[in-house]
Amino acid sequence: MPAAEPAGGTQQGSGSPDVAALIPLVRRIVTARVPDQATADDLVQETLARVLAASGRLESGTLEPYAIVTARNVVTSLWRDQDRQRRHQHRVVDLRPPEAPDEDVLVQEDRAAIAQALSRLSDREREILLAHEVAGRDTRSLAAELGSTAGAVAAQLNRSRARLRVEYLLAAERIEPPTEQCRPVLLAISGGDRRRQRDVDAARHLLECEACGRLSEPLMGRGRTRDDEVRVPVRKDADVVAARHVARELATRLDFSPTDLTLIATAVSELARNIVRFADVGEIVVELLEAPRRGIKVVARDAGPGIDDLDRALLDGYSTYRGLGLGLPGARRLMDEFGIASESGRGTTVTMIKWRDEP
Amino acid sequence: MTAGPRLFSILRQGPYLIASIHTALDDSQLVRFQEDLIDQIGRYRARGVVIDVAALDVLDSFASRMLRDIGEMARLRGAATVVVGIQPDVAFTMVRLGMDTGSVATALDLEEGLSSLERLMNASPGRRT
Repeated sequence: MPAAEPAGGTQQGSGSPDVAALIPLVRRIVTARVPDQATADDLVQETLARVLAASGRLESGTLEPYAIVTARNVVTSLWRDQDRQRRHQHRVVDLRPPEAPDEDVLVQEDRAAIAQALSRLSDREREILLAHEVAGRDTRSLAAELGSTAGAVAAQLNRSRARLRVEYLLAAERIEPPTEQCRPVLLAISGGDRRRQRDVDAARHLLECEACGRLSEPLMGRGRTRDDEVRVPVRKDADVVAARHVARELATRLDFSPTDLTLIATAVSELARNIVRFADVGEIVVELLEAPRRGIKVVARDAGPGIDDLDRALLDGYSTYRGLGLGLPGARRLMDEFGIASESGRGTTVTMIKWRDEP
Repeated sequence: MTAGPRLFSILRQGPYLIASIHTALDDSQLVRFQEDLIDQIGRYRARGVVIDVAALDVLDSFASRMLRDIGEMARLRGAATVVVGIQPDVAFTMVRLGMDTGSVATALDLEEGLSSLERLMNASPGRRT
């Protein structure tokens, strides 16, 4: 023990200079294997740190081989790490899009649009809406204050929200509605009020007014969602297939016979094709009917040139393109009810129904 | 053909072509089918064509018209056409729609279609090689 003491002491004392002398050697070993300068520096540091830590336990003269082996080991473990990372890289992929630089600007624009939309509400509407949404007042206390009922306040809030959505969209898109009709139509859609939509003939307006057609899309999902009605926009050939597929799917729910399903799909196909051929833009709305009888109603609506001579269009074999001239008359024969309205220059609407139960 | 699964295939079987439609085709795809088929009749010097429409759930006026036209064009190119695999509901609908497809030969399925072509070939030995 006493003999070991001085030996350890000398090693401790001369250890650091020895290690310092090893630096060029270690650096040479590491840089030969690692091209990146910064990484190489790190590895040299780490090797020296390990050699220093171990120098107390080492016999003199073994310091240099120890440093060489340590340097190699450090490099090897770096490679192993890199390899492992490469293998596992797919697990840590971050699919979230990086924050876009324009995000701030967009948030600001959003705020401006909301503010503008709020400013277009009446003072009273705005106050109630803010009291409810921002201050968190419930409808009952608001009703007490206004001398009204909770239900009436809730209905009022709903209308205000619908209006706010419309005004917000108009402000965000920086659009001034092109016609007198636009605002009422958008409001009816935003409120999800189907009777109001019918009153203002919203469906036709959307086909005619490009701005409203675009604006209404985010508003469409509003209101009570109905799963017994499907709307298919029809513009191109592929939509014809989509429309008849939708009609068949929906009709399946009423347990129509396979034959009836085919009849319905074929009739829808004929009408959808007419839209693509003659009108460019239109839609097919398929709706299940429950009362008075169960059935399926198909409305094909377009904003095309209209049909000048309806009687002739309904005649077999009258075709203006190379078809069989069976589109309209054929569809009429396939369905139980068939109605057509057309206005020159404004478009055509065909309504047809297939009843589930034979009369 | 663009990317995606094939919508139809046209295979050679001896002197015949077997054209199968795999899924519902829209109008422009039907036109492409027609063009491909007429083109291949010439390229392979086919004597007969079997068109398998079993996968179609709807044969509306346009599709029927296409089939009729294909039959007529193939005839002009010297090949007989047989349409096979029309589903019962589709047949019902075609009649209700009032479609006139009398000029197109039909058979129940592929096997019947091929033997019907055989019979046609034997009956008209005009173009034997």
